[in-house]
Amino acid sequence: MSRQSSLCVVKLVGELDIGQRDEVAAALRLDDGDGPVLVDLGEVTYADSTVIGELLRFRNDAEARGRRIALLIGSPQFARLLQYAGLPEAFAVFDNRAAALTFLAGAGP
Amino acid sequence: MIPGAELRLSRPADAGAPRPIRHALGAFLAALDVAPVIRADILVAVGEALANSVEHAYGHEPGAVEIYARVRDERMLLVDVLDGGRFIEREATPGRGLGLRIVHAIASAVQIDTVGGTRVSMAFDTAPRRRSGPRGQSLAT
Repeated sequence: MSRQSSLCVVKLVGELDIGQRDEVAAALRLDDGDGPVLVDLGEVTYADSTVIGELLRFRNDAEARGRRIALLIGSPQFARLLQYAGLPEAFAVFDNRAAALTFLAGAGP
Repeated sequence: MIPGAELRLSRPADAGAPRPIRHALGAFLAALDVAPVIRADILVAVGEALANSVEHAYGHEPGAVEIYARVRDERMLLVDVLDGGRFIEREATPGRGLGLRIVHAIASAVQIDTVGGTRVSMAFDTAPRRRSGPRGQSLAT
């Protein structure tokens, strides 16, 4: 027996720094499902290490439950931030929604 | 860039301080014709120094965080982030402790003085060019 695992989408928008830490932490919560997770950062105009920290926690939560996670970005700025932080491989990062969904449809975490 | 141009700002050191300071610095950099990608990187580095300051400088005591940005010459911009409190690199949760790494990756030079408060002094090269990323990736600017 199999069933379609539904996609969990978390969308963050705007300028996110230490002043929005509580809101970002509240938004980055897993649903009760077991499907893959897409974090949509396409409308984030600024992010700092506060956001990276919360995303790392969220990624760890998702992977601990065997759920694949991908980040969708709207500009190269967030990818550069990960490089500057020394974490270029910490997340599966896509600038294209279809490519992210293809990745998430793959097997395994 | 206009040698001698400078920006000084002071705000109460709370979690809401970094955003308006970044906005003011962003407008200053735009007026100096700093390229958008370099501008964004400088705002990230300064934003990390500001975040570190407002999180740890004073504990629960009120205080101020200040920024002093000035153009040294045609291509170098100097930015100091100052407070009267203690310096602690954030490491409490996963991902913390990344702030200074980001600052060092973006700035050409960084100096941290902790006598009588904390001053994080950063120098930025604003000349558009191709730069090597932290792991050797070529980052188009």
